[in-house]
Amino acid sequence: MSLPLAVRVREGVPSMSLIVPVTGTKLPPIALSTNCPSCGVGLVPEELREQAYVCDCGHHFRMHGDAWIALLADEGSWRERWADVRPHDLLDWKVPKPYQQTIDQARQEGLNEAVRTGTATLAGRPVWLGVFDFRFVGGTLSIVAGERLARGFEQAAASHTPYVLVAASGGARMQEGVLALMQLAKVNAALGRLHAARVPYFSVLTDPTFGGVSASLALLGDVNLAEPGAAIGFTGARVIKQATYADLPPGFQSAEFQLERGQVDLVVPRVELRERLARLLDLYTG
Amino acid sequence: MRQRERDTLSVWQVVELARHPDRPYSLDYIKRMAPDFIELHGDRISHDDPALVAGLGTWHGRTTVFFGHQKGRTLAERVRRNWGMMHPEGYRKALRIARQAVKFGFPIVSLVDTPGAFPGAAAEERGIAAAIAGAIMEWFETPVPIVAAVIGEGGSGGALGMAVADRVLMLENSTYSVASPEAAASIVWRDNTRKVEAADQLQLTSRDLLAMGVVEEVVAEPEGGAHLDYEGTAVALEAALWRHLQPLLTMPVDELLQHRYERFRYIDSLIAAHPDFGPKVEPKV
Repeated sequence: MSLPLAVRVREGVPSMSLIVPVTGTKLPPIALSTNCPSCGVGLVPEELREQAYVCDCGHHFRMHGDAWIALLADEGSWRERWADVRPHDLLDWKVPKPYQQTIDQARQEGLNEAVRTGTATLAGRPVWLGVFDFRFVGGTLSIVAGERLARGFEQAAASHTPYVLVAASGGARMQEGVLALMQLAKVNAALGRLHAARVPYFSVLTDPTFGGVSASLALLGDVNLAEPGAAIGFTGARVIKQATYADLPPGFQSAEFQLERGQVDLVVPRVELRERLARLLDLYTG
Repeated sequence: MRQRERDTLSVWQVVELARHPDRPYSLDYIKRMAPDFIELHGDRISHDDPALVAGLGTWHGRTTVFFGHQKGRTLAERVRRNWGMMHPEGYRKALRIARQAVKFGFPIVSLVDTPGAFPGAAAEERGIAAAIAGAIMEWFETPVPIVAAVIGEGGSGGALGMAVADRVLMLENSTYSVASPEAAASIVWRDNTRKVEAADQLQLTSRDLLAMGVVEEVVAEPEGGAHLDYEGTAVALEAALWRHLQPLLTMPVDELLQHRYERFRYIDSLIAAHPDFGPKVEPKV
């Protein structure tokens, strides 16, 4: 881990021109910083968008749910399900910010919960797709998110359709209390049925994947794929330092760290992801 | 701390009772329930995790597998047992012995008392997230009756990893929460000194969880709290656990697993049934 991550991943990134023929879909715009946090280069949003939000240096910017759907689903194939299931402030959570206000604000911004799910084709292959959206309360697992995931797993099991997950989450949602914690069990119960039905399940781990999401569905893929440099773990580095006063080595909890420690199968640059998933789908359904 | 009148405890006082240093721990109950208890050790891969006690004993004339977080009474023991915070090896040990329970047809009793899984670098390096995730999934495929009880702190995924059961009970002054009040405060305020306010909002007391339908029963503690009467608490807990286990012993395995699935799959159904996606849980008076 002596070289910075950005340099390490650069070699694996093929020409960006590959993206367009692979997806055929233009990705939606994303709010970006003015400079790349890895290499410091000034960013041209339109250029970066053409490159699936991967900097020339290899830095993978966080993508939100819409962008993931556009990247993975063939154009026009996305059929979203249960978008009408909505969150609710069931604990009467007031401080530091009323939960209902958090929900209402996110809805006004056009966000619909931390997980969206539905069916699509990926390079012509039918899949169930579940994508986390980090913009919605940090991609936290909630009752609605858990419900969408569990229903999707059950339906994918029933129809023998492979399931592709894109994880990005801070963990369980505090504002839904212990019922958010119970989603770990609810989702894993349904995921167990998917596995029992011998339906392939591929989990794409993106930056960041932590807490209750990595401790439930995210690390239980038949294949776990991670984006280069993504932070993946259970407890975040800040909390580990607070709790144990430990010095953490550079690259701690990175995708490459988790690859070395046996938690992920593959670290895949974003521009190769569709093609890699398509090959895996063929191998596991062949 | 002496409990005054039962209904006048603040949420934070309940948190402190749940963490009381003299509160009975898992072994205090297990040794009373099954005096012939034999503890087993190790995950058969690399480590033993002293934060989780696991073993077998005779309970109501039947060999039973017992699990329990164990916090440790003295400082030396607390260090050795890591204050009841499990590493990945603890979950692997539990699953190894649970597979034995399946092999021999023993029911499982799991006592939960942990601030959470260990938030340290070593746990991360050895795959704590995947260990918990794998455990949660495997409990649903473990075809013997499982009853669990939160006897002190039920902290986060570290607790849930040992609490996927057919029935989940709570001692009166125990807590069960998505995160410890300190962790929740650290997440929503970025300031873990706001723990009392966080605790007030989390709805983590036994009565809150009963109202939400997350646990089947709250077991009353003797006057003053469990730490003042080990014997009385153990008798009450033992009776409740047995009452819940008994009907499970004769249930066909398919039905048992289907019920366990539905118990968690629809655990938020009290909430979801409301036209506006959920009734507010009645605020405490």
